[in-house]
Amino acid sequence: MKRPSSLLREAWLLSRDRAAIFWLALALALSVFSVASGVEEVRYQRGELAKLIELDEADRNAELARQSDWGGAAYYAFHLTYDPPSDLSFAALGQRESAAWKHRIRMLSLEGQIHEADAPNPELALAGRIDFSFVAAYLAPLLVIFLLYDLRSGERAAGRMELLTATAGRAESPWRMRAAMRIGALAGCVLLPLGIGGSVMGAPVAGLLLMSMAVVLHVLVWWALVALADRLSVASTTQLSILVGGWLLLAVLVPATGRILVERAIPVPSGAEILLAQREAVNAAWDLPKEQTMIPFIERHPEWAEHSQIDAGFDWKWYYAFQQVGDQSAEDISAAYTRGRLKRDEAARLSAWLSPPAFLERYLQSLAGTDVRSVIAYEQSVRDFHAELRSFYYARLFPGQDFRIAEAAGLPEYSPAR
Amino acid sequence: MSVLLTLAAGEWRFWLRSRLVLAGFIIMACVLAVTSLVTVTRIDAVQKQRLEHQVAAEERFLAQPDRHPHRMVHYGHYAYRAPGPLAIIDPGVDRVTGQSIFLEGHRQNSAMFAETRSGAVLGRFVELTPAVAYQVLAPLLLIILGHSLIIREREAGTLAPLLAQGVRPVAMLGGKALALASVILAMTVPLMLLAVRATLNGESAASAFNLVGAYTLYLLIWGGLILLVSTLARHRGIALGILAAFWVISTIIFPRLAASYASVTYPAAGKIETDLMMARDIREVGDGHDASAPTHDHLREQLLSDYGVARVEDLPVNFRGMVALASEEKLTRLLNQYADDQMLREQQQAALVHRFGWVSPFIALGNASRALAGSDLAGHHRFLREAEALRFSFVQGLNTAHAHDLSYADDANRNRDDAAMQQARVSAENWKVLSDFRFTPSPPEDRLKAATPFLMMLTVWAAGMLAVLGLAAGRLRP
Repeated sequence: MKRPSSLLREAWLLSRDRAAIFWLALALALSVFSVASGVEEVRYQRGELAKLIELDEADRNAELARQSDWGGAAYYAFHLTYDPPSDLSFAALGQRESAAWKHRIRMLSLEGQIHEADAPNPELALAGRIDFSFVAAYLAPLLVIFLLYDLRSGERAAGRMELLTATAGRAESPWRMRAAMRIGALAGCVLLPLGIGGSVMGAPVAGLLLMSMAVVLHVLVWWALVALADRLSVASTTQLSILVGGWLLLAVLVPATGRILVERAIPVPSGAEILLAQREAVNAAWDLPKEQTMIPFIERHPEWAEHSQIDAGFDWKWYYAFQQVGDQSAEDISAAYTRGRLKRDEAARLSAWLSPPAFLERYLQSLAGTDVRSVIAYEQSVRDFHAELRSFYYARLFPGQDFRIAEAAGLPEYSPAR
Repeated sequence: MSVLLTLAAGEWRFWLRSRLVLAGFIIMACVLAVTSLVTVTRIDAVQKQRLEHQVAAEERFLAQPDRHPHRMVHYGHYAYRAPGPLAIIDPGVDRVTGQSIFLEGHRQNSAMFAETRSGAVLGRFVELTPAVAYQVLAPLLLIILGHSLIIREREAGTLAPLLAQGVRPVAMLGGKALALASVILAMTVPLMLLAVRATLNGESAASAFNLVGAYTLYLLIWGGLILLVSTLARHRGIALGILAAFWVISTIIFPRLAASYASVTYPAAGKIETDLMMARDIREVGDGHDASAPTHDHLREQLLSDYGVARVEDLPVNFRGMVALASEEKLTRLLNQYADDQMLREQQQAALVHRFGWVSPFIALGNASRALAGSDLAGHHRFLREAEALRFSFVQGLNTAHAHDLSYADDANRNRDDAAMQQARVSAENWKVLSDFRFTPSPPEDRLKAATPFLMMLTVWAAGMLAVLGLAAGRLRP
């Protein structure tokens, strides 16, 4: 028996199997839909950013033109910060669905601003959207199961088992080839839209290849699981029940339990506490003697010590100093919030070894730069930018310089890391 | 009748002998026990904690010292959304929305810090709750139990003798249906216990009853579908394949497909874009901090002529406070307009998803369940509206104190030096304008009304299923 002809025969058999064609068509349709809506979403986000960058600049210039001192300029001039979607993010929208990837920041206390996020429609967030990572991680295994469970036990039930085994060269070969055919077709149906989407977005080839390899490996893992269940030699319906049960376990129950355990084991201060600490500090400062604000401020900024005497009832220097002291008083809890999220993410990364679907999804998100680490890296870039803003304004507020619109053109500009 | 019972009893005997079925039952029981326990503990803790935070926020506000009233406008306050008693069954959107809002003057903040934002990223299924166990897992168990109800008799060659002995096809299906229905009723016992607990915690019996009813109807629809496929399919494998496909498509794929479709169809503007648009409009309303801005000229003329004086210094009220009052009102109208647009957009998106209930009973039940438990989108919007009403009332209360209890001269000179700043303040007695806020679910009749379209969908599904089953019974051949 020559290989190519048996390959062709298997392909012909596959094309005659209506159930298999249904599952493959479903795989293709879902993959196309997920990639198309991912591409659409990334385009929308890019368009939105382009529009916002323009609106933001216009708004800032309009505000700056009305100002007469640096304090007012710092109060009214906002700055857009953003994390543009990567070229691969169409495949795994990840944390961009819930975490903030754009902010408008000004010189006020940063803790009061950095936690602002677009509130997504809760009704949609509850179900979550279909992106490519969902199709590859959660639906592809089910399709593997539906395509393969019936292969051997079906033939057994139909009474053709003995005949097929007897006519084949080796006992395993017809099944292997038939299964490989289906797995190959499934992988093709899932990956083809990814390749097309990737070339439309101009995504890096290396990233796309890594993604494809991960998806193929994941599908192979599920093939192995089906083969394992096949060893049980039980009726095909029992086998299907066991396999769907296995999917439920690995794709739903293990990750959900893992999340509960991780969140119990690693407490994270509630974000509202950060805001509360910051707000209490900022509001209390109005009623405190001015030195109580200026002393902790000067500890951080000794370079302004000689300009730190406040005589008037209100002085912008003092106002921004207590904004900064507000951040300082929320510093520990805010750092604990970031640390806690990173620790949870690390624990989730380790737990994901127990759930291939969760593992694949996290891997795709890390390739696409839509994981928790990317979110926190973006937050850090916002913090850095805010620090730049502060040094720009402090250098003008403390020596008491006059506001000049031309000089405001030298304001720091945010540039995204990627 | 006795034929029905005999057939049902036979089915039960078969299930009890089958290890697979037994394993399924045990797993389902464990999942129900664990999810109920976890959800009840979490919701109880959250309920207590949010109430404590709410009370603490009120006490902190009242404990603030004498101040300039406008300082209190920016000091602000918090509103917490406590879950209702039925949230122990279906917490709905609780985890994906922020649970508290910071309320202050001139701004409508969004509800911040949804729990999912700091959660561990593991898997797509937000939370395991009794609702999820019943909506997603229970149908799967029913499929395993029931896909072979009729086919088995056909494959074993017992269908023909039974029919030949004069068992009518309708009785045949009826007996099998009775067996499956008894399983469904047994499965809903934990749900009933949870509903009773919610009732003891102050939930209306009607809502709890409707909720249990909706879940039972949903499971019965699945039972009907399973029986139907088992009657029509030629092989067990085909029946199981069809049912599993329907399960995957209706519970896993459709809800997400609908969500993606809705967000692409009605893209919602982000907060920053809205803020920028609003900033443009606000420049027209005028800055309430700057009483000399030309946008307030009209108010000044009006007040001067009303009181018959020539200068704002001679007014019996503090002009700056009057400006704060008037501009907050104008601004709030604008803010509410944007907030209404946002909510409308979310409702449009949701309405699109809701239509998928006609093809997926899972979507119909999910919405009925959240509506009855008060944990749906509309419940969240009601929270946002009530929080806004609270914000407007205390801010205007403080602005009224600003206008009437603080003299214009003191107010205008407040920045001269520390002594002037001390002078420009009002008594902390004024902070009592803040009213208590306790968020509770809407009245049961409102929730029932919100759930009605979805209950209707489920009823249509059930009626259709019955009709098709009747037809199938008529054509039952060995």
